[in-house]
Amino acid sequence: MKIEFGLEDLAKYPFLKEAGDYVKGLSLSIEDLRQDDYQPALKRAKERVIEAIQKNFISIEILEPNLEILSFPLALMLVKAIGIDYFMHRYSLAESLRAERLLEKEKKSIISNIFKSAFNVNLISTEHDVFDFKMSMIDYLIRATHFHKPEWKLINRIVEKGFVYVKTHELVRLMREEIRRIVYERMKSLSLPKIPENIKEIVDEISKALPPVPSKELQEVTPGMFPPCVMHVLDLLQKGQNVPHYGRFLLTSYFLGIGKSVDEVINIYPKAPDFSERLTRYQVEHIAGMRGGRRRYKVPSCRTLITHGLCFKDEILCDRIKNPLQFGRKPVNFKKKN
Amino acid sequence: MAISMDNKTIEFLKRTFREFYYKNSSKINAPIRMNEREFGYMSFDKVMIRHLSFQTEGELRAFLVKEVPHSVYYSCAYYHEPTLSMDEKGWKGADLIFDIDADSIPTNCKEEHDKWVCKDCNFMGKGKRPENCPKCGSMRIDEENWACSLCLDATKNEAIKLIDFLLEDFGISKDKIKVHFSGSRGYHVTVEESSLEGLDQLARNEISDYISGMGFSLESLGIAKGASYDDMRRSLPSINEPGWRGRIASFFTKLEFEGYDETNKDIRDKILYAYGKMGYKGFEDFTKEIVNKLSANIDVMVTTDIHRIFRLPNTLHGNTGMLKKKCDDLISFSPLIDAVVLSNEPVKLFVDKAPKFALKGNSFGPYNSEKVILPLFASVYLVGKGLAKVIDSD
Repeated sequence: MKIEFGLEDLAKYPFLKEAGDYVKGLSLSIEDLRQDDYQPALKRAKERVIEAIQKNFISIEILEPNLEILSFPLALMLVKAIGIDYFMHRYSLAESLRAERLLEKEKKSIISNIFKSAFNVNLISTEHDVFDFKMSMIDYLIRATHFHKPEWKLINRIVEKGFVYVKTHELVRLMREEIRRIVYERMKSLSLPKIPENIKEIVDEISKALPPVPSKELQEVTPGMFPPCVMHVLDLLQKGQNVPHYGRFLLTSYFLGIGKSVDEVINIYPKAPDFSERLTRYQVEHIAGMRGGRRRYKVPSCRTLITHGLCFKDEILCDRIKNPLQFGRKPVNFKKKN
Repeated sequence: MAISMDNKTIEFLKRTFREFYYKNSSKINAPIRMNEREFGYMSFDKVMIRHLSFQTEGELRAFLVKEVPHSVYYSCAYYHEPTLSMDEKGWKGADLIFDIDADSIPTNCKEEHDKWVCKDCNFMGKGKRPENCPKCGSMRIDEENWACSLCLDATKNEAIKLIDFLLEDFGISKDKIKVHFSGSRGYHVTVEESSLEGLDQLARNEISDYISGMGFSLESLGIAKGASYDDMRRSLPSINEPGWRGRIASFFTKLEFEGYDETNKDIRDKILYAYGKMGYKGFEDFTKEIVNKLSANIDVMVTTDIHRIFRLPNTLHGNTGMLKKKCDDLISFSPLIDAVVLSNEPVKLFVDKAPKFALKGNSFGPYNSEKVILPLFASVYLVGKGLAKVIDSD
């Protein structure tokens, strides 16, 4: 069954393939973008990018659906033209947050259609007092395991005959990462045409307005040197992505555990726009046992990391270890590999 | 505690196993999608060989008769290339498997039949082994655990609870769930050919936490610090609710609280009454106990390991000589009778030390450094556990 969306819906959710088809249907060429008709769409695209990268925010007001729909692929082109991966990630995150805000207020039928079209997830609308939908346990688990608060654990959900009950805002939160990825992948796979002068100018203007990219210190880390769970958190930091609280705890306790000083650990955290040295120092010193209860926190065990969804076990290198600190200290059992 | 196995004893075991596989070859069935699975085995010299693959049932049967392994394993996982190294196999998916082991289920009889001895100072004791030797503090401790019929009944109860979760909560159809006695001290419950096959380690961890009751929060029951009783009453579960909430509510119907008059009252009032009496902390501990009772005691590490290998059904367990056997009717299945498949042929043994035990409806022992003649199935059982050696078996 073909899913139908109105123009208004496509303007709200321009990452939908139906929105892409709509733009394709306009048969625009890059040269057309010089024309005055398209300047409002380019202006909105520029606004999208600057808002997104500076404030992690994209406004949800829709003045004119056509213009809004068109501004999305244009914005992707602009970010791609800046050519820095970090900004592509930031932009994608802001787009997903925008979609999340809109979905929160959306009609149930439209939500179902979006989930079917964009993620191939079937939602069943329920008449439950608290929950709006139920979804298959598999669809739920694939996504919910990335969240670490107790309410996302399967055991704390209502699970019935293979279905999990969810509220609209939970559902929307579950899909944020997926929307982010759709936007990012779309940008990544975009091949840039030769860009006309007027657009080059816009790209330059945007570039001047952008915050600095976080420190490169992290890139000196050699893969395989640290356990995969620690590498995963380092990787998130490197990409400027959200690091769950427990991930920061793992990283700090691990590096303190292998003998790094408080200052060295603070330096591991990139100087992202929201970086506060004072706060980071306080947290690191707390974990090091120099503050609060004067208790030095231990590195969480592999078992605990599995529960928090932070274990990325390497079959060979992590064999027989129970704590990330044992990584590389126990002899590797290569026999298993034969 | 165990006595080392001499050549004569090893030869005896190999001969017994070979004969069994030769006579029962037609009963060895290929697991579904056999050629996508990794196989492995342990020889009687205790060498582990992995990354094997079989294409046909005939090939597998011939292998068992020729190699006569102590134990044969197959992977829960499906691979593109099962014989390559772990990194190169190409994981496609895995059956969802649960292991319930008598060792991790507390039973009173363990104090009678389980023993441990410190390898460093020879200090010994009965029951569950301590983490460290109480005398010298060493962690090198040898255990001798038995799974008696009481232990195995307790294990079966856990399997029954597990299956209820699979059917009712996860909606897995009955025909996809297979239950096997492991051939030693527990049960394997396998879900094959289901849409859960592609789930990763994290998702399986959630499933095993769900079943084993790990991480249940009072908030999900509707109890929150600082919330009014009216609000909590609205959020508490009714007995007809699915999932953990419903299970807990139903459990409350069986409980009695002093001073509480049940007549014409909703289960939510009873839960609130208990909460009011106990306070947050007390109620939290109380709920933990309930969750513990209702959960199934599975080995969570097994379920989350998506590359693990498991004993192949219808093969012998090298430590007991019993069969890993499918339980078509779990309730009536009696492992110490139904999984005993070796013959009654007499064998002359020297038994070092063994407690009283029952197999195939017969009672044996206790033995203390003595020569005895036992039927083959009981001989292999003691020899496999390293408690006896063969004097004469021909």
